[in-house]
Amino acid sequence: MSSKETYLGDVQDVDGTSVSITLSKKSMTGFVYIDGQGYRVGQIGSFVRIPIGFTSLFGIVSQVGASAIPSNLSELTIAGDRWMKIQLIGEGQRDGVFERGLSQYPTIGDQVHLVSEKELKNIYGQPDRPYFVKVGHISNADSIPALIDVNKLITRHSAVVGTTGSGKSTTVASLINALSDKDKYPSSRIIMLDLHGEYGSALKTRANIYKINPDTSSKLKEKGLYIPFWALNFDELCEISFGKFDNEKDRNIVLERVQKYKVESLKKYPRKGADPDALSVDSPIPFSLHDLWYELYTETYGTYYKGAGKPSDCIAYETDSTGVELKGDAQKGIAPIFKNVKNEAGDPEKINYLPSQLNLGKQLQLLGTKLRIPRYDFIFKPSEWSAKKDGEVSRDLDGLLKDWIGSDKPVTILDLSGVPGDILQTTIGALLRILYEALFWARNLSQGGRYRPLLIVMEEAHIYLNDEFKGMASKVVQRIVKEGRKYGIGAMIVSQRPSEINPTILSQCGTFFALRLSNSIDRGHISSALSDNLDGLTNMLPILKTGEAIILGEAVKLPMRTVISAPPRNARPDSQDPIVYDEVAADASQNPGGWGIAMEVDPNYQEISETWRSQNPKIDRLKN
Amino acid sequence: MERISVSSSNIASIGYDPDSLTLEIEFNNGSIYQYFDVSQRIYEDLINSDSVGGFLASNIKGSYRFSKV
Repeated sequence: MSSKETYLGDVQDVDGTSVSITLSKKSMTGFVYIDGQGYRVGQIGSFVRIPIGFTSLFGIVSQVGASAIPSNLSELTIAGDRWMKIQLIGEGQRDGVFERGLSQYPTIGDQVHLVSEKELKNIYGQPDRPYFVKVGHISNADSIPALIDVNKLITRHSAVVGTTGSGKSTTVASLINALSDKDKYPSSRIIMLDLHGEYGSALKTRANIYKINPDTSSKLKEKGLYIPFWALNFDELCEISFGKFDNEKDRNIVLERVQKYKVESLKKYPRKGADPDALSVDSPIPFSLHDLWYELYTETYGTYYKGAGKPSDCIAYETDSTGVELKGDAQKGIAPIFKNVKNEAGDPEKINYLPSQLNLGKQLQLLGTKLRIPRYDFIFKPSEWSAKKDGEVSRDLDGLLKDWIGSDKPVTILDLSGVPGDILQTTIGALLRILYEALFWARNLSQGGRYRPLLIVMEEAHIYLNDEFKGMASKVVQRIVKEGRKYGIGAMIVSQRPSEINPTILSQCGTFFALRLSNSIDRGHISSALSDNLDGLTNMLPILKTGEAIILGEAVKLPMRTVISAPPRNARPDSQDPIVYDEVAADASQNPGGWGIAMEVDPNYQEISETWRSQNPKIDRLKN
Repeated sequence: MERISVSSSNIASIGYDPDSLTLEIEFNNGSIYQYFDVSQRIYEDLINSDSVGGFLASNIKGSYRFSKV
């Protein structure tokens, strides 16, 4: 190739990886034609090449104009010279193979050339390799596909960040679409934590959707999401059920009791791998929390008839008007009612509190409420995973894991939109820990993570990976991003507010998909988490178009400004923004509400209170 | 509820349950809504109108309360 037409200028100053060059008089027109295609000179973010012997150094333009003059030269410079500052990023051999990192530096006087589309193609990689996945094309060069190395993307973790409306969800949907391509990756395995139920419709053909209160009639064929309480470890279980204990003694009493229930369950229904003599309280062994709660409740509040025999055989239940003892119902979370203590002279009936009374009133009341409220059913009454009193379950842990990570479809969407806010963090923490633990221990098996890695996509991560609370989710994710690589667990963190995400987690992400980010604090967090010295690129973040991303890090050879190709119209996530005024005319609108449509004459607000009280967005009036 | 397919720029299918006076509309984007207390006559007018989208916009939207299914 003729080097004259691509010639831009000469190296004048080298300071580490930042190189200042003066533009030649010829390239001053600002427009260069190579192979019939026009290139604008000195676009921020464009590439330049500095040939040195048999190799070429490549850099990215980060600054153009007067301020690009090296500071100590600024007074001496003759007016009229034009300056440009570039950041070196890697070098290419003559055969076109590009590598990150530098083995040598340019010197003063070296020529600097524009990089043509043909050369760019060489740099950006080989689309025919199956471990590269195409997510779009390079901005300003439609013919060059943006390729991502799947190996690095998944094992080295990644983050997708961008302001609301910058195309984050679409980018994620597009990535997942590409990664779940059955022909290319017949056993890809992806699990998505979908906090707002956005992705169900976008990935319906490739995903199993698990949701709390599933709508089985819907086209999406939603299934119920259950996280059996007995699969949680003791700390998680306490946080979700009992709340805080007043002292270590109370905690130990409950711990011993849970342990006892698990041991008994295991003795009755032996499970491979678990030994009753060496059982830890954290082991995922089914037991009945309802019965445990009932037992502890009786021991805390119970009274008994004195002198009639063993206290536990003579519990003094209160009776209702017909004489039936109010024993409550463990399974429904209804507490028994006991007679008041009675110790009067002359009355032969003496009622006393049970000996060795427990002091767990507050915790048991709290748990009792949770056992009764339907919105906690996904944990405490997990359908087929509910344990009978002796620990019998119709489906065990294997069923749960098979549903989540071993189904016939590559993607599993866990729709968490129905999880109560107060336990969201813990629920996500528990869920991720179950997955981590399962894949960690199964590391030698073909079903495990090392031989069939798992990608966990965490939507709206700032909600539960916030630095402010030391939540369980944050702890588990820190473990996943630090050690998950070895066991085949990759994380993809998606957030609109990277500054609120724990910095340890963000710094472990090897690949960034940075969409438009207007907030300077968020931008600062991204720039500081990047391994490259690419100020020029991160400065572009606020001016990216919707659906345009800067991809940098380990999964790409070079940082690239990419136009992400959107999935087909029917496979896009609903961003779920309510429409205030539909842009489409009323008779063609697919939207029944909005400010543009009159209100019905007599709005029924009873139905609003019905949904709130029943904690279910679907009213009874709906017909199946 | 059984729905009948219709040809319209915005509506995919329409169903009606006369016992509970519930009208069910599926839009082309796949979302399904139920309108409550819609009389049988209105339903028949809707299903027989030249433009179901237009009829829905002028006679049902804004007059009856609904819920997403």
